[in-house]
Amino acid sequence: MSGKIVQLGGRSLALTNLEKELYPRCAFSKAHVLDYYRKMAACILPHLHDRALTMKRYPHGVDQPFFFEKRCPSHRPAWAQTADIRLAGGEAMTFCLVNDLETLLWVANLAALELHVPLARAHAPETPTAMVFDLDPGAPANILDCGRVALILRDLLARLGLATWVKTSGQKGLHLFVPLNDPGATFAATRQFSKTVALSLEKNYPELVTAKMAKAARTGKVFINWEQNSASLTMICVYSLRAREMPYVSFPLEWPELERLTALGDAEKLQIVQAEALRRVGEQGDLFGEVLTKQQTLPHL
Amino acid sequence: MALQGIWSGTIGFSLVAIPVRLVKAVAPGRVAFRLLHNTDYSPLTRRMFCPGQEELVPPEEIIRGFEIAPDHYLPITAEELASVSPERSRTIEIVEFIDLEEVDPIYFDHPYYLVPLKGGEKAYRLLAEVMHRTGKAGLAKFVLAEREYLVTIKSTEGALALVTLHYSAEILPDNDIVPREGTVAAGEKRRMEQSIRQLRADFKPEKYADQRREKVLELLKGKMGNATVTAPAVTEAESEGPPDLVAALEEIMTEMKQQR
Repeated sequence: MSGKIVQLGGRSLALTNLEKELYPRCAFSKAHVLDYYRKMAACILPHLHDRALTMKRYPHGVDQPFFFEKRCPSHRPAWAQTADIRLAGGEAMTFCLVNDLETLLWVANLAALELHVPLARAHAPETPTAMVFDLDPGAPANILDCGRVALILRDLLARLGLATWVKTSGQKGLHLFVPLNDPGATFAATRQFSKTVALSLEKNYPELVTAKMAKAARTGKVFINWEQNSASLTMICVYSLRAREMPYVSFPLEWPELERLTALGDAEKLQIVQAEALRRVGEQGDLFGEVLTKQQTLPHL
Repeated sequence: MALQGIWSGTIGFSLVAIPVRLVKAVAPGRVAFRLLHNTDYSPLTRRMFCPGQEELVPPEEIIRGFEIAPDHYLPITAEELASVSPERSRTIEIVEFIDLEEVDPIYFDHPYYLVPLKGGEKAYRLLAEVMHRTGKAGLAKFVLAEREYLVTIKSTEGALALVTLHYSAEILPDNDIVPREGTVAAGEKRRMEQSIRQLRADFKPEKYADQRREKVLELLKGKMGNATVTAPAVTEAESEGPPDLVAALEEIMTEMKQQR
């Protein structure tokens, strides 16, 4: 077994099974995963900061069984920060908070390829910092159809005075974020607002959009999953890897780029692989930064 | 059966600290029914209704008020309530050890079990064993869901049980219940004592069961299979949103379609 102890900021961290190929089809090993998260740290850490982490762990790689881990493992290092959060059932659970590079590398070493976080921070778990529209295509609809819906949503929300950001899910869909960063925001309000918008879109673009979860209703349409606006759900964190055949990344796009690619009909270009992700953040920095800072309030009509 | 944890932390006194999880000790025996609409069998939901404006009130428009006089309220915010709530705590601190027989059963409110967490098993067993042998129960203070409770911790056959107590101010006085004194003939007293002696038994609660519950379950079993009804597939998504937002969205969308 190849392993080594690294010293980081006065803390020591044991990295294990470095040669294990977690993405066997492209020979992408645990060492590569750790290297990706280390290089992406400056961009991803602000988005993970103070949020109760859900890990999707692939101990034997993306082709083998995975498991979700919400409870922060009891074998965590003493310096790992945690938060106790009361779940919907009333039970409190201890979650990991990925607030620094050491913790990010520790969870990456657990083969937690996918990092999922809630829309609220751990110290205010009932206050969403953003409203989200999770656009999920039902085949034969694809990510380009999601692009069309995202652009309609962008224009619609802009006319209500709301600025929006978009990222790929790293799988087949797109995630549209409306930053709020408003201490008065509630999930009840974001749910109702997003649901109303989704239903209105469904009514006006019945061939393209559905607001219904039922699989049958989704065939050939884009499902606007407004129910993601919930204190008890998590979404893939921006810049997180996805566990697919290739190390795809949930990655932010600029609106003009999405407009161009949607018009061109080039679905492939909407899939960002890790090397491309690192190259882009090197050039353009964190395109999703304003999602954490932009203050907006849902209009009271 | 996996017991649902309600709280976890440590139970302690002086230098002892035992990590534990709190689980329910009773499950209500009531058979629950859903309320359905008799025309289409949709399960009914509760909505808040404002009689003043004759409309449904969304959650974000609901606040709390304390009734000072009929139709006069003092509004109070969630922040104000939070400011007087006790701090959440991870410990059940035993402050005294008492004889449980001294506690009038009227004080007992809600029973739970304490389950040892990893690393606490040994200390847990020791505390349970010693409390059982000495017949002592711990009296402790404990914060659960924004309220501070007075609780007793006692040892039952090797397990620790926690029972929340009513505060003494919550117990209603019984002064008015006891009848004014009158004379009782000695013969009557003797006869009463004799009848009680005749019915004397050991406490065996398993001899008794909720017979209506059993009959209801029997009734359901008999009906099962031939008389089920199915609710129509309505989802939450069917209802419309706030009328103002719906109207604004419609207007914008009509404009957008014309421009495209």
